[in-house]
Amino acid sequence: MAEKNYYTVDPLGKLMCMKCRVPLEKGKAKFLYLDNGFPVELPVCPRCGFVYVPEELALGKVQAVERALEDK
Amino acid sequence: MFLEERESTHVYKQQVMFSKEELERRESLCVHEEPAYCNAACPLKLDTKAMVKAVAAGDWAKALQLYEKITPFPHILSAGCEAPCEGKCKLCQLGEGVAIRELERAVVRFGEKIRRGLPRMKKKKTVAIFGSGLFCTFLAGELNKKAYPVTVFCREDSAEEFLSRETAFVPAEGMAASAAVLKGMDIQFRFGSDPADMESLRRDFDIVCCQWGLAEVSDGDNALMYSREKKLVTGQTTGVLDAAFGAKKAALTVDRLAQNLDPSNTRGEEGSVSTRLYTDLSEVPPSRRLIGGEPCTKEQAEAEAARCIQCTCDACVKACAYLQHYRKFPRTLTREIYNNVNIIMGDHMMNKPINACSLCGQCSVVCPNGYDVAEICHIARQTLVTTGKMPLAPHEFALMDMLFSNGEAFLCRPQPGFEKCRYVFFPGCQATAIAPDTVAAAYADLCARLDGGVALMLGCCGAICDWAGRYEMYDEARAFLDAQLEKLGDPIVIAGCPTCKKELSGHGGLKLTGIWDILNEIGLPETARGMEVPAALHDACGARGDEPTQQAIRNLAEAMGCALVDTPYDRDQSPCCGYGGLTQYTNREVAKAMTRKCLERSDLPYISYCMACRDRFAREGRESRHILELVYGTNAGSPPDISQKRYNRLSLKAELLREIWNEETQEVDIGFKIEYTPEVLRLMNDRMILKSDIIGVLQELRKTGEAVLDAETGLCVARARLGNVTFWVKYEEIEDGYRVCGAYSHRMSVIRRQG
Repeated sequence: MAEKNYYTVDPLGKLMCMKCRVPLEKGKAKFLYLDNGFPVELPVCPRCGFVYVPEELALGKVQAVERALEDK
Repeated sequence: MFLEERESTHVYKQQVMFSKEELERRESLCVHEEPAYCNAACPLKLDTKAMVKAVAAGDWAKALQLYEKITPFPHILSAGCEAPCEGKCKLCQLGEGVAIRELERAVVRFGEKIRRGLPRMKKKKTVAIFGSGLFCTFLAGELNKKAYPVTVFCREDSAEEFLSRETAFVPAEGMAASAAVLKGMDIQFRFGSDPADMESLRRDFDIVCCQWGLAEVSDGDNALMYSREKKLVTGQTTGVLDAAFGAKKAALTVDRLAQNLDPSNTRGEEGSVSTRLYTDLSEVPPSRRLIGGEPCTKEQAEAEAARCIQCTCDACVKACAYLQHYRKFPRTLTREIYNNVNIIMGDHMMNKPINACSLCGQCSVVCPNGYDVAEICHIARQTLVTTGKMPLAPHEFALMDMLFSNGEAFLCRPQPGFEKCRYVFFPGCQATAIAPDTVAAAYADLCARLDGGVALMLGCCGAICDWAGRYEMYDEARAFLDAQLEKLGDPIVIAGCPTCKKELSGHGGLKLTGIWDILNEIGLPETARGMEVPAALHDACGARGDEPTQQAIRNLAEAMGCALVDTPYDRDQSPCCGYGGLTQYTNREVAKAMTRKCLERSDLPYISYCMACRDRFAREGRESRHILELVYGTNAGSPPDISQKRYNRLSLKAELLREIWNEETQEVDIGFKIEYTPEVLRLMNDRMILKSDIIGVLQELRKTGEAVLDAETGLCVARARLGNVTFWVKYEEIEDGYRVCGAYSHRMSVIRRQG
């Protein structure tokens, strides 16, 4: 069965890892909160593995899921 | 120092707040759902309040519909009803009660009849009624409504004649209308028969009813309108209302008999009832009846009905912005909170309301029965903490702030020259954060004018964790403060904040007073100046039930020449400004509504004696002063943001250490410069991100070099996990440091995953 993805982002090549000096790529990541995990696709540095969470995601969907989990 | 996040959403622990019996006891205190006085007085259970409301609104059809619910013969009942409701009308206490009987007559006269639905199937059991008179008339109507095949045996020769017995008081048009109603009913009449033949005729019917006196009954029971010995539904009635009520009871007895059940069991509540309703009349002007005697016009009746105050108890909701926000009366709210706490799996829909109450206890004072919603929310919070179901997120910032107050910003020193002190000044965490200059001035004054040494303790009283329901943290905070006080020689604590005073009073054996009491005792300093314009005094919710404190503040204000103006909900009834109970952190919307509720009482500048009130009122744009600012001639000015509040505490501590105790505080040099755009400062305050969080992220960046460059904005973004939160900072590099252009955070942690 295909794994469900909660969020997919297209890095569009505009993001660059400052440490490794390489563009971020679409990569597999996972959000964890209160013992719950959510697989997502986020911009990731292919070299050092830095996972970038854009502001609109943090303040949008991430916050909404946090709130929902907090009241579980 | 960080707090531990709750473990998992999959922990299935349960604990009840209190027993079911206790829940019911608490719920029963709320009288909002009790019937209005007029409704309770009516044995026929007319919804008088609703009927009068419909008349006032000109909805005559609805009014008639309500009235017809209680009687098949509205013309007869309304013409002769003794109206016990009128004497119970609350307006009687102020002048004249609503003329309900006249209104009923008007309803019958003017109300348009709404055609009811389809005719119902007749029941199988047959009923005979012998005789005539009011009881028989009403009973025939009631049984017809219940769809029994009814046969009436009477001496009279026509429907008109049948109705005319005992109804001399009904006007001619009422009689004509009643006759039309009777004829429209599916009732078999045996006119001209002799009811005395009952014994021979009754065998054809399943149930037999008769007028009182037709048969000799020795075991008549007026509660059931039934004689078991004679198997007869009958009873003695006096007057129209009694006859109508008797007919209702008799019809219910017929129902029970038709089902071969004992007529005395499971009858439900019959007749008039007592009510525990409370109605506040303080704002109701006395008034007199507008109708009476002559039949009134529609307009006159509507005007009279408009006098009705629609008795209800909403004392708590009227006073409390929180209850208004959630549109719930305490009874419902309590049940929902109780059930919410018991949920083991699934959504806790009431967590937000539980955490939005300011715990100020105003409800317990304005409610005639002392309903304490605050206590219920507090117990709920503690129970959720126990079961691990309390989210940390809504309270974490405040709890961290408390740890900061009792950690980095904490200060406890005896007055120079004293090892043990007679007093210790405890200004409270909000005073040091909002008005540090006032605190410094107050301490200097106390040291100068009190004998025996005055120590200083800058810290938090523990209210924060108490409000958050974190009782273990509270015990720790309490033990910490007690140990500090012991070191100082157990001095008398001079609280600068009524909430601190209240919280500290829970520490057994503590000697406690307020700075307001001391100032009243030793007199005002020279700096004391009242406001030049009249002002409204806002009582702190922390001083609820503390009349001496409320009075001491008034005495101080008046001694300074303040012209205080009375406001509604003062002293014990005062509402919370929105800071209490951590509402400010858990629900900004409700907190704002609370602040506005405080401010709607007067347009004048506000004087308060809790620094949080002073702060929140000023934030709403109201001129707002703390009593100690007036005493010491200081002005804290515009409210500080969250970072400034922390900075104020640290710099006050450093300043006092330097000036009073000759101790230099080592300033921490982070080794780089940070600039903030004005926009980001506003944003950070809104998102509860502190400058210390930004420093944390930038320090992490300097250590790891991890950041992302966004080519679109030209900004770099770095992040750090600080405690339970990941902070992201958007910045650009400047000489020797960074210019911060954006910041955001989330609580979820994020990892890279394989596969």
